[in-house]
Amino acid sequence: MTGRALAGAALLVLAALTPSAACAEYGDVLLNRYSDQGGVRPVVFPHWFHRIRFRCKVCHDQLGFEMRAGANDVRMSDIIEGRFCGMCHNNDIAWGAERCDLCHSGRPGLKSGVYGGHQTTGPGRW
Amino acid sequence: MRTTSLTTKLLSLAALGVMAGPLQAQEGRQVYEQKCAVCHAAGLAGAPRPGNAADWGPRLRAGKASLYRNAIQGTMRGMPPKGGNPDLPEAAVRAAVDFMTATVAAASKPAARPEVARKPAAQTAPAASTAPVRQAVPPAAAPVAAPAIAAPEAAAVAAPAPVQVASASLALARPEPGSGAAAANAFNRLLRPPGKRNLPPAEDGIHDPAVDGTLQLQPPLAAFGAMPRSNAGNRVDWVKALAEGKIAPRWERDKADAAAVVMDLNIVREVKGSMPDVVYPHKQHTEWLDCSNCHPAIFVPQKGANQMSMAAILLGQGCGACHGRVAFPVSECRLCHSKKKDGVAAGSAAPQAEAHR
Ligand code: HEC
Ligand code: HEC
Ligand code: HEC
Ligand code: HEC
Ligand code: HEC
Ligand code: HEC
Ligand code: HEC
Repeated sequence: MTGRALAGAALLVLAALTPSAACAEYGDVLLNRYSDQGGVRPVVFPHWFHRIRFRCKVCHDQLGFEMRAGANDVRMSDIIEGRFCGMCHNNDIAWGAERCDLCHSGRPGLKSGVYGGHQTTGPGRW
Repeated sequence: MRTTSLTTKLLSLAALGVMAGPLQAQEGRQVYEQKCAVCHAAGLAGAPRPGNAADWGPRLRAGKASLYRNAIQGTMRGMPPKGGNPDLPEAAVRAAVDFMTATVAAASKPAARPEVARKPAAQTAPAASTAPVRQAVPPAAAPVAAPAIAAPEAAAVAAPAPVQVASASLALARPEPGSGAAAANAFNRLLRPPGKRNLPPAEDGIHDPAVDGTLQLQPPLAAFGAMPRSNAGNRVDWVKALAEGKIAPRWERDKADAAAVVMDLNIVREVKGSMPDVVYPHKQHTEWLDCSNCHPAIFVPQKGANQMSMAAILLGQGCGACHGRVAFPVSECRLCHSKKKDGVAAGSAAPQAEAHR
């Protein structure tokens, strides 16, 4: 009985220490401002994958992405009309908006923000 | 007097309990059908199927409380918090768990042993297939494999590393409830063990392994293989990877060959106390960034004009706007604190920048 209680307590502690997102790749950003409401899975944006192909300034200067998680008001209609992700995901520079679940591949219910063992807290403050 | 009030309380409690029973069962079925059945009905990605003793037996041995908690908080192996319904009251989640386990609870004890063996048998087959649906395996084959398999599985719990070794199917291996204490005393409590670095999307905790798209994404290690490694962040030395031509990120969205506009200007920030001074290199930054990414929103472009401190950086200000989020994290002290007080460069950043003058 106590053994089980102890093991349970140990598991509790473990669960508290290992939030399920702790293993995400460094720099992955989750976008979930509208996705859950819209009945789709949230969007995972992998920085590592894109920075192999583009310098930061392409997105954060040329294309106008604010460098702050959650600061960009991205709607699906924007993307289809060629703004935000749609400036590349347009079947010209990269595959287009019809491949929904490559972007909408996040776990439902997760909050927007940067994941993956980041060490600074909260949203960027500047 | 006392006793009577106590008994009435007990009685009313009991009555409540009796009433709550069927009500909860009804709610549980409803919640299950609306929120949980998508995955649990077919056992998608290893979700235990309702009323299936083989699926629930070992889990029930961990106790109902553990099941409730995992259903509410989610698990790394694919159960999203509250099944992906953040607004669902916790009581409703518990009711759904009760519904799914109702017919199993009694039968769980005897079914538990051979259960251990069923999983590995199932694991080998679907490893390469794209559909994460778990295969049912005839229980007849089970008892033979049991002792051999149980051991590595327990080991996987003690040292979290092996979880990553194989693909999604291995991730279905569940910790044996008894080994919770061993897991709690794993060698590294806070340091992310090697097996949990650069996990493929299906196992990284933020991708939903039940989506086809997740399985089509590139696993980070497939890309990082040829790149110089580092000790933190993506565990890739991005500065070196770029300098050595291992990657060729575009400077313009639609031009493959536009050259970067790089400025080589080091700013030394003297640090009070014993830490080496900070050398801020414009070169490595302007390889990636435009002046307007930092000036003037993050830094006024004037030496010494900006207040900086580690506390502020850890809060995401100044250098912390990028370092600790996308660029290498704050743990790499020596990359920033690279200039010894006597003027000799201690880390790699300063000499590298100077060499390019
Ligand atoms: C290039 C990546 C990408 C692709 C491909 C993509 N989406 Fe999106 N989608 C997004 C982003 C980013 C958002 C905004 C996410 C947020 O903040 O919740 C979004 C939001 C949405 C929303 C939320 C409501 C709204 O209007 O913004 C819906 C619904 C949606 N997408 C459906 C789809 C469907 C259906 C497809 C396939 C035809 C698709 N998406 C393909 C990136 C993508
Ligand atoms: C392909 C486009 C793209 C590239 C290239 C890119 N980013 Fe981002 N970045 C984004 C998007 C999208 C977001 C999320 C914005 C949001 O949530 O509204 C983001 C967010 C961020 C954030 C905010 C994180 C937070 O916690 O607030 C930082 C910092 C950042 N990027 C830095 C960088 C750096 C440094 C590089 C270059 C190494 C880079 N980015 C390259 C698209 C890009
Ligand atoms: C997106 C698919 C999905 C949905 C929706 C879902 N689950 Fe799960 N669930 C899983 C998977 C996959 C597992 C197995 C993962 C594991 O072993 O931790 C699981 C495991 C569980 C477990 C066992 C946890 C343990 O400790 O072993 C419980 C309890 C549970 N789910 C309850 C629920 C309830 C209640 C709902 C509805 C409110 C629900 N799930 C909705 C995928 C889902
Ligand atoms: C500057 C151009 C650019 C922008 C902006 C951009 N992407 Fe991409 N993205 C790419 C390219 C190029 C690829 C690789 C395409 C290929 O493999 O054919 C890619 C691939 C991806 C992939 C697949 C990664 C893999 O493992 O194969 C995802 C997911 C993705 N992008 C999401 C997004 C989201 C979400 C946004 C908006 C927040 C976005 N991208 C904005 C250029 C961009
Ligand atoms: C990653 C952020 C970042 C980028 C990108 C960046 N700078 Fe700076 N810059 C700084 C910092 C930090 C300082 C030092 C400020 C201080 O000491 O308070 C600085 C200082 C300066 C100074 C003052 C030098 C002095 O001696 O007073 C100038 C001029 C300058 N930057 C120009 C530029 C130009 C031009 C670009 C683009 C080619 C650029 N910077 C890009 C972060 C950046
Ligand atoms: C706008 C984003 C941004 C800001 C702000 C920023 N950095 Fe960086 N920094 C980067 C990127 C991107 C790299 C490339 C390496 C990487 O991504 O890990 C980098 C690289 C470096 C390097 C080179 C490391 C090497 O291996 O040569 C040093 C040193 C550094 N940063 C120090 C600083 C300091 C000190 C500050 C604050 C004064 C600062 N950075 C602010 C984005 C930023
Ligand atoms: C991204 C670059 C960066 C990294 C990484 C970094 N520092 Fe700093 N550190 C700075 C800057 C910038 C200052 C402020 C210098 C000044 O006062 O001008 C600073 C200041 C300090 C100070 C002086 C007190 C204070 O808070 O201002 C100490 C002590 C210090 N750092 C320790 C560390 C240690 C320990 C680590 C590693 C765990 C570390 N730093 C990693 C950039 C960095």
